[in-house]
Amino acid sequence: MDPRIEDVELPPSGGPTADYEVALVSLNQWQLAWRRFKKHKLGFFGACLFLGMVAIAIFGPLIMPYDPQYVPSFASKFCEGSTTLIAYSGCPPLTPGHILGTTGSLRLDLLTLVVNGARISLIIGIGASVFSAVIGTIVGGIAGYFGGVIDNVLMRIVDIMLSVPILFVIIWCAKVIGNGDWRVILIVFAVLGWPGIARLVRSLFLSLRTEVFVDAARAVGVSDMRIIFRHILPNAVSPIIVSTTLSVAGVIIGEAFVSFLGYGVDPAQVPTWGNILTGGLDFVGQGNWWWTLFPGLAIVITVLGINFMGDGLRDALDPRSRE
Amino acid sequence: MIKYIVRRSLQAIPVLIGITVVCFVLMHLQPGNPADRFAQNPKITQAQIAAFEHRWGLSDPLPEQYCKWLGVCGDKGVLNALPGGTLNVAGLSISLPGGDNGILHGDLGYSIDDGRTVVAVIGDRLLPTIILTGTAYLIWITLALVMGVYAAVRRYGLFDSALTIFNYIGYSLPTFWLGLILITLLAEGDPFKWFPASGMWDARTVPVFGTSDYWAFVGAQPLNALQDLARHLALPVLTLVLVSIAGDSRFIRSSMLDSLNQDYVKTARAKGVPERTVVFRHALRNALLPVVTNVGLEIPFIFGGAVATETIFSWPGMGRQFVESVGHTDYPVLMGILLISSVFVVFANLLADVMYAVVDPRVKYD
Repeated sequence: MDPRIEDVELPPSGGPTADYEVALVSLNQWQLAWRRFKKHKLGFFGACLFLGMVAIAIFGPLIMPYDPQYVPSFASKFCEGSTTLIAYSGCPPLTPGHILGTTGSLRLDLLTLVVNGARISLIIGIGASVFSAVIGTIVGGIAGYFGGVIDNVLMRIVDIMLSVPILFVIIWCAKVIGNGDWRVILIVFAVLGWPGIARLVRSLFLSLRTEVFVDAARAVGVSDMRIIFRHILPNAVSPIIVSTTLSVAGVIIGEAFVSFLGYGVDPAQVPTWGNILTGGLDFVGQGNWWWTLFPGLAIVITVLGINFMGDGLRDALDPRSRE
Repeated sequence: MIKYIVRRSLQAIPVLIGITVVCFVLMHLQPGNPADRFAQNPKITQAQIAAFEHRWGLSDPLPEQYCKWLGVCGDKGVLNALPGGTLNVAGLSISLPGGDNGILHGDLGYSIDDGRTVVAVIGDRLLPTIILTGTAYLIWITLALVMGVYAAVRRYGLFDSALTIFNYIGYSLPTFWLGLILITLLAEGDPFKWFPASGMWDARTVPVFGTSDYWAFVGAQPLNALQDLARHLALPVLTLVLVSIAGDSRFIRSSMLDSLNQDYVKTARAKGVPERTVVFRHALRNALLPVVTNVGLEIPFIFGGAVATETIFSWPGMGRQFVESVGHTDYPVLMGILLISSVFVVFANLLADVMYAVVDPRVKYD
């Protein structure tokens, strides 16, 4: 059936032949993609997970009863309803008032921390990915469109950046120029993350620049920059969206790892999933498994959602690439 | 073919030079220099700091430092790029004009931290890394191959669906967090105290790895040594396999599906070739072509080490050395590790391209 025919209610077969109309609605490519995406169960599920996490990041901190830096002073030495000493390793999950338990030593509410950590973790993930997608698109677009010497030089730079083990460089840069500020970490990931997208955009532009509509635009005197960004780019945008989506997952994991090594966002400034988890490392041996488990689970759920969503988007935006 | 290899190798040269520049510039991004560690030490005088800076060439202009590190500049000028020393040919000893230090001569300098040569520092760490990542690599490639092919043959079957879910999860796990969970469950947790949580050898019963005592121990009690190593390998290898298998098995599955949809497979089936032969002789052999490239591109990982895994499990490998050297701002070692890992990547890319051209006769080299 033609995908552009709207689903209209057909009369029951065998019934009286009433008049009915087949509504022909023309849909643009985004509406078509949205229709395909809705049918992609895993992708839709992933989008719900991810958007749910974004909603938690935006609204969660507003409704949490505790402040992430608030240190409670309990009357009793023991956690409520348990025999665990408060000062020792924190209260286990399901303690009244603390669904996910509390951290050791300062006994902050873990749920409050994880919900607050979602903000910065997601901002770094999304921000760095979008930022590097913009750089990558500009570099790749220029290289692919102009070709020749410009292409050669830019692609050798990309080759170099893709050869150097990027995780090593991120660790080093985070140590050298990072001062625990989350904005610096975001910029480090953004500035080091663009070469992959640049290579992708270049290959798209190489094939698109030979299309007839580009010749037509050039023939009527459209400027190069306008051809690149207004004529070719809209045709290349689907793979860029998919790739950017998937890279959010990578940055979130990367940020957590850099924090784990101690060069990430300073936990005294803002909590992120990475630095919450890192704080719990010394307490695993004292029986506090929940402190490292829950921020990690938050990362896994988010990343899983992003990966599902990315694959759904890939199938929805570019039906040809379907296996 | 030869022409293609030569041309491809020549293309790698500017990339290699660029890598050295990037490594060097990165290291000098940081404010200050290694002499700063003495700033708060009242026993060290200004003169001693100046001597230290002079000794390490820290007060030279940056381009000169780079040039010396590269091994082009020196007291002999540009001639330094040529090999130096003496050459003994047929009883005649000919003295060569060039220098013998700098990375062009295989000399990566000295660790500021402990004064050993960088080559020695990296050399100590290379074998443990290869043991860890090599074992993991072999296991995950084998498993990915078997699982990917089976899932493709039984497409949309129970195993295929299970593998898809498993892959998604494996792909989404942060390596270091998975390592932590495995340690909590299998090493420190009460129910299963099976494996050591960290290290590469049991310090109570086995000498330090890499020393001559260790090799003597391996010679005397090979079974005990192997068992000890295997017990320590178990958790880090499991971690690496779980997080790495997803990408490859997915790739192999889709490559196999592509190949099963080809016309020659239909022809073979139509001729009545047994399904087994169709799968293994016709489809698999063609499906392996892109896989070879992909697997080849993962080889540098074996040498570069697994930073997260090595850090979590205190494995004395390259990745952990890098993290330690970052902590000590020991940049000759950092530059050495960055450089060696990057050069491996360049050569793996080269190898993958050449390998692809060798295994697939349809590839044309222009």
